[in-house]
Amino acid sequence: MSRRYLGVGIFIIVGLVLFALGIFLVGSRHEAFSRHVLLYTEFTDLDGIAKGSKVQVSGMDAGQVTRIEVPRSPSGHFRVQMKVDEQLHGLVRTDSVVTVDTEGVVGNTFLTIHSGSLNAAIAQAGSVLQSKPPVTMSDLLSHGLGIMNDADATIKQVGGKLNVALDGINGAVGNVNDLLLGLKEGRGPAGMILRDEKMADQVRETMSNVQSTTSNLNQASGRVNVLVANIQQRDLPQKLDDTMTRIRSASTRADETIQKVQQSLAQALGPDANGVTAGQNVSEALANANVATGNMAEDTEALKHNFFFKGFFNHRGYYTLASLSPEEYRHTKLFGSTQSPRVWLQADTLFRHGPHGPEELTPNGKHAIDAAVASFGNPIFTHPIVIEGYSDAATPADALSWSYARAQLVRNYVDARYPFTTKNIGVMPLSATPPPGLGHDGWSGICIVVAEKK
Amino acid sequence: MRWLSKSVEFVGKVGLFGLRVVVDSLRPPFEFAQCFRQLAEVGNKSLALVVVSGFALGAVMTLHTRNTLVTFGATSMIPAVQAVSFFVEIGPLVAGLLLAGRVGSGIGAVLANMRASEQIDAIESLSIDSFKYLVVPRVLACVIALPFLTLFMDFAGLLGGFLSEELSSHIAPILYLNRAFEYLQWSNFIAPTLKTAVFGFIIGSISSYFGYTTDKGAQGVGEAATNSVVLSSLLIIVADVLLIKCIFFLFPETAV
Amino acid sequence: MSDPKTIAVEFKRVMKSFGTKRVLNDVSFHIDQGQALCLLGRSGTGKSVTLKLIMALMRPDSGEVYVDQDNVVSMGEKGLSLVRKKLGYLFQDAALFDSLTLYENLALPLSRLTKKSKDEIDDVVHHVLTDVGLGGDGAKYPSALSGGMKKRAGLARALVLEPKILLADEPSSGLDRITASEIDGLLMRRKVEHRTALIIVTHDVHGARRVADRVGVLDKGNLVAFGSVDEVSQSENEVARKLITEGSNV
Repeated sequence: MSRRYLGVGIFIIVGLVLFALGIFLVGSRHEAFSRHVLLYTEFTDLDGIAKGSKVQVSGMDAGQVTRIEVPRSPSGHFRVQMKVDEQLHGLVRTDSVVTVDTEGVVGNTFLTIHSGSLNAAIAQAGSVLQSKPPVTMSDLLSHGLGIMNDADATIKQVGGKLNVALDGINGAVGNVNDLLLGLKEGRGPAGMILRDEKMADQVRETMSNVQSTTSNLNQASGRVNVLVANIQQRDLPQKLDDTMTRIRSASTRADETIQKVQQSLAQALGPDANGVTAGQNVSEALANANVATGNMAEDTEALKHNFFFKGFFNHRGYYTLASLSPEEYRHTKLFGSTQSPRVWLQADTLFRHGPHGPEELTPNGKHAIDAAVASFGNPIFTHPIVIEGYSDAATPADALSWSYARAQLVRNYVDARYPFTTKNIGVMPLSATPPPGLGHDGWSGICIVVAEKK
Repeated sequence: MRWLSKSVEFVGKVGLFGLRVVVDSLRPPFEFAQCFRQLAEVGNKSLALVVVSGFALGAVMTLHTRNTLVTFGATSMIPAVQAVSFFVEIGPLVAGLLLAGRVGSGIGAVLANMRASEQIDAIESLSIDSFKYLVVPRVLACVIALPFLTLFMDFAGLLGGFLSEELSSHIAPILYLNRAFEYLQWSNFIAPTLKTAVFGFIIGSISSYFGYTTDKGAQGVGEAATNSVVLSSLLIIVADVLLIKCIFFLFPETAV
Repeated sequence: MSDPKTIAVEFKRVMKSFGTKRVLNDVSFHIDQGQALCLLGRSGTGKSVTLKLIMALMRPDSGEVYVDQDNVVSMGEKGLSLVRKKLGYLFQDAALFDSLTLYENLALPLSRLTKKSKDEIDDVVHHVLTDVGLGGDGAKYPSALSGGMKKRAGLARALVLEPKILLADEPSSGLDRITASEIDGLLMRRKVEHRTALIIVTHDVHGARRVADRVGVLDKGNLVAFGSVDEVSQSENEVARKLITEGSNV
């Protein structure tokens, strides 16, 4: 009998302890046992804030919404009562601003009281703080999509105009050809001057066309910048993935267009040396266009970094080599993987000491690189390429700097020789230590990696 | 029509039975020793079952939710998902169903057997109110024990979830605990735990009803056990729906 | 008519039905202190119901049941608990409480219906258990007992309160002849030594002839014969005559 009492006693006591533990853990979360001050704020749109919603002060959990007064007329405001931990009261100043934020991708909405300025007085208990109206996601997205569509349209326009321009250039080149033929065939200089004026006009007109499209493009990229700033400020985009792909595809399209233009230009300007002047101008204009699209690419790049889930992008293979330390790089799944094809090239064959000190590529080395590029086949056009530099120099600083210099040398060579997109080629100085598990404990030279994600 | 009137009659009988339990449990004399004995039977002896299944269920839950949440990059939500689902629904419901299976059948069979072998008459012949002596303590034991068992289930589930998460991500215990309780509020800890007292009442009184009122002799024993489990499990789930609505009504902030 | 003061149990025009089935139809009889009544009859003729009516486990539809001059039909729980102290009930399968030891089974009536101290209860239980030959089995649970032992234990429990009236439902059913006559012997001793009135429901006509001062025969709810063994064997009712004479041939 006494044993049964003991058993039941233990059962009840442990149960009560668990209950108390639960209450304590829940309670401590909601600061039920600590001292509070009541503060107020007003919103026209609550964006899902409800009684019990969390309140943070400068990112720290500080309490919850305890009451919401509903306005009587549409012109009124929702008055929100917030219970804030006494400890954080000192951060809340009279000029503190309250915003509505969202936790993560799928999280609840909550209020953030931003800490005020040093000079302002501490907000008294019961005082009403300023608020900033929430920007709803859908607004933001439709705004963003609008900008994207504009950018798209502009880029199409650029494409179209460039084509017109190219027709002009073609015409101009044709004229030059005619002129040269005329000269060769012994037609008089008077005819030449007549023709030359026409041609000059045509070329000038073409140039101004190209320039105006470029400024259009720049404008578009400026608007993208605004969008990005918006998104960063809101710190929450739910469907950003969507937006991202749109931005990317838009910039890819721009790239494509420009590539086409370059090709047609190469065709147009290739056969005749006299077209060079006109060709250079066009090239410059196109370089401007490149800068514009480059800006766009950079903007998306910036998004990747400032956005709240870095892992979200890493998971999809968005890496920026510049932001990776050699140590991180060695342990990145994508690059450290045995699945990514690599070619190891020894320093002896690749480099020789140049006349002014630093190393330069040997002809044999260039052949070796050509062979390596050829051996990768198609994937090298569609995947990021990383050129890892290695050096077994005695001091760590030398090893790092030499390995960087070597990687740069090879990159410049590859970049100049093959039509790879510049941003697809990265360099990574790794001193003498390759990533683990690839069968090389140390290396001096170069390793070319095609990051094939499988 | 006969079927209908019989069903209605049955509902009436069970309802009166439940009412009698409530009334008799408030009317002296109280059978404390019996309550204690039944509490040991219902509580202590179900503890191992509840803790082990809670632990296993917790581990499994985490394994499943982990995959989904990782896709969203929301791994930090795993403890919260685990805690909220266990404290709000899984703990109370599964503990209730386990108790219905283990104790419901026991109560049904024991009382039916006592009825068949005239033990209930023997108790009556000692001027002991057999209803207060046999039924009330069993129901009370279920009402008291189930909230406790639910707590054991909740925490065992959390422990299972933690260990499973610890193996895959080496999360620190204190961080896990912190994140786990991040989204829990008073109302979705206390209310769901206490609602199991209603489950306990259902299990105790339904099973007692079948056992206490059987008149089919030895054959009635198995029948009472089966009916107890089936009906009390069913009623628990149905009652859960209503109770959740009640909780939402009383604590509107839990309903998102 | 006997002196009302010596009457132990009396039925007056008792009717009892379950649904449409009438199990007791206008039954009247009485027995005195120190007498043994054997109720005979085929299964389902209301014999056990008669015992439960005396114990007030059931109430009759009409009529009166007197136990030691108290009408139990109209009595509340408080009065009944006083009446039940005078009654002992040996159930058909002993109906020992499975969850209690033999000792606890016997102590329960004493702790519930008397104000005896724990030591006194110990004494009584030990004494009664020894009396029925189970002196060393007090710590056992009912499931560990044989059929005969259970019956004796059930008898012991019926006797712990020293009842003036002992009701026994088929005390010899399911037992061999020797064990059955042991039980009969215990009942007889009770009657002789303590002048306890016995009301025994039985199929065992042989036993009934040995024990009974009075025999009642129930058939389809009617008390068709009542009197001494000899009187009943010469009864006008064929069923009663047949029952008694068949029993004598066994």
